[in-house]
Amino acid sequence: MFGGNVKMALAALRTSKGRSLLTMFGVIIGIVSVVTTVSLGEGIKQQVVGQINRLGSDLITVRSGHIVTRDKKGNITKVNATTGLGFNSGSLSQADLKVIQSTPGAQKAVPIALVNGSLKVNGTEYTNNTIIGISQDLPDIIKQKLAYGTFFTSDEARQQVAVIGQDAAIELFQELAPIGMTLSIRGQDFVVRGVLDRFAAPPLPLGPNFNDVVIIPYQTAQAVTNANTQLVQVLVLPSKPNTASAIITELNSRLYSAHGQQNDFTVLRQDENLSVTGDILNLFTAFVAGIGAISLLVGGIGIVNIMLVAVTERTREIGIRKAVGATNRQILGQFLIEASVLSLVGGIIGIVISFIMAAMIRLFTNMQPVITWQIVLIASGVALSIGIIFGITPAIKAARKDPIDALRYE
Amino acid sequence: MKATPKRQPVIALKDVSKLYGFGHATTLALDEVSLEIDQGEFIAVMGPSGSGKSTLMNIIGLLDRPTNGSYSLGNRAVARLRPNQRAKARRDRIGFIFQSFSLLPRLNVLENVALPLLYKGVPLTRRLKRAGVLLEQVGLGDREYFMPRQLSGGQIQRVAIARALINDPSIIIADEPTGNLDSSNSRVVMELLSEVHKSGNTILLVTHNPELTRYANRVVYMHDGSIVHDERTPIGEVPRLARRAMALFPRKTEEDDLAGVSALMRTIPDKPIGLKKRRKPKRRPKAKKSKDRSKS
Repeated sequence: MFGGNVKMALAALRTSKGRSLLTMFGVIIGIVSVVTTVSLGEGIKQQVVGQINRLGSDLITVRSGHIVTRDKKGNITKVNATTGLGFNSGSLSQADLKVIQSTPGAQKAVPIALVNGSLKVNGTEYTNNTIIGISQDLPDIIKQKLAYGTFFTSDEARQQVAVIGQDAAIELFQELAPIGMTLSIRGQDFVVRGVLDRFAAPPLPLGPNFNDVVIIPYQTAQAVTNANTQLVQVLVLPSKPNTASAIITELNSRLYSAHGQQNDFTVLRQDENLSVTGDILNLFTAFVAGIGAISLLVGGIGIVNIMLVAVTERTREIGIRKAVGATNRQILGQFLIEASVLSLVGGIIGIVISFIMAAMIRLFTNMQPVITWQIVLIASGVALSIGIIFGITPAIKAARKDPIDALRYE
Repeated sequence: MKATPKRQPVIALKDVSKLYGFGHATTLALDEVSLEIDQGEFIAVMGPSGSGKSTLMNIIGLLDRPTNGSYSLGNRAVARLRPNQRAKARRDRIGFIFQSFSLLPRLNVLENVALPLLYKGVPLTRRLKRAGVLLEQVGLGDREYFMPRQLSGGQIQRVAIARALINDPSIIIADEPTGNLDSSNSRVVMELLSEVHKSGNTILLVTHNPELTRYANRVVYMHDGSIVHDERTPIGEVPRLARRAMALFPRKTEEDDLAGVSALMRTIPDKPIGLKKRRKPKRRPKAKKSKDRSKS
């Protein structure tokens, strides 16, 4: 009975493909927007979780901008979504780095600075790569191996050497291990010392794609830019485990006085990055999900409309079915299943498009959307419920038709 | 006319009336009709358009409820049945054959025949197997996977007969099954119904064609919502009144049939027809016209 109804519903879909597709559009768009948004959020969350696992929860990040508000115990009470987004530059300076380095308990302080300037290889200019000035401790902190060559050491902190990501190696030199080759930044030649292993995900919260980066020693970067680098983050590794909170308090008070009593910086423990990212994402997700919900509502109204048309068109069919013994409940079931199949097929098409969208986003941006089976299941469930909720009125109308009137209808 | 033997009738209508509409627009489709039908009878119901034949069939077939009067089907009062019990009774005890458009266009022939079994909850393979057997019986075993639009009118009616038979119903209601068919196709359909009758089914046939009463063993004439004449005849003979209708106006078209029956009704003495207001007076000039045509 159920299987027969599903088969009949699919046949009905096939006989009026164009009309069904138009009806399904609302559902498709709604499902695509919701699934894509949720998958983007999920991807970013997974990245952050991966970063925490990779970096350890004790790592402290000092970022520019006032991102979070803390209460007296040091718990985050409010997240400022606008300044929290992105790898932005601003208020951190060379002096701050010194303050951080001199803070007791901070074993290592790794500055991360963006270097402005054009990148050239054999006279050709490349603009896609992020140039970063970093200290020699980076591989230890982000626990990353090199595929070829070695990272620069403290002895080379003032030399013109570079370590590059794998995509950068292929893009700039068209080979996997361009060790010893030369690239130029702001007219200065740098020798490639090493190529980083491929990063499955960006190692730093909301950071650049490290497969594309060109990394040079921080002090060299200061020298070639006349100390005009943009310090975006300082990673601080505590000397003892479980002392991060105490160090954060200390860093906060020291930086607060160094900045002339201004709260234009943020000190975050690694695991707090997750809640910061999560809070920002939730705002964004709620917004797009709202659009998706409106689209699903419109889709549902489309389903009501088309099912009412179908019930009228098939009045005679209903009459015949009743004459051969269909009960009201069986007619109701038939039309309800038809509406559900219509909506569910729309949902499945939406999910397929979402997978394609996710693949495109992975290809063309450095975001890594993740569509989990839970998202697929919930999206299918939502599509099915829309079919049932919006299909019930037309189905009741069909079930209540008088068999005589229905048989006379032509 | 012979007296009806005292048996338990399968269909018993007592003073059944049916009103349509409200207030001044009320029409009386059936006027206190009483009718008893025994198991295994082949009844032809004749009468002009609007005489209440179809209404009677719809009430007997449980598609409609009488406004007044009592109807018992197989010794059970129908008025007490709930809507889904009525649906189940239609499914299990009654097979319908309509004049036209009675197949679902989206299902193939086999699925159309198997449709009543779907509502009974029979598994798919058993449904289709049984439908195949019945299609074989009506001589369409090689058309199982055709769609209804690929069949001729006669074939469609044979499929409809197969569908009506699939639940082994005791009663078959055929509402002008040959109305849209030519004479040779009509014959095939009627021979099929005749075979069904021989296997013990009760058949109610609504027709305008007196020639078809040859297959029936009882002919009921209706006019203005009442049964005006009820006659038993041997199978194979066209009864006296139907023959008179034929003799009056040699059959040419459906219109002529109507004219013939209408004219016949006017001649029947035991019903003061002229006093009743005719519902469709436009029929009259048409009847005259065809009369003239037949004379010339």
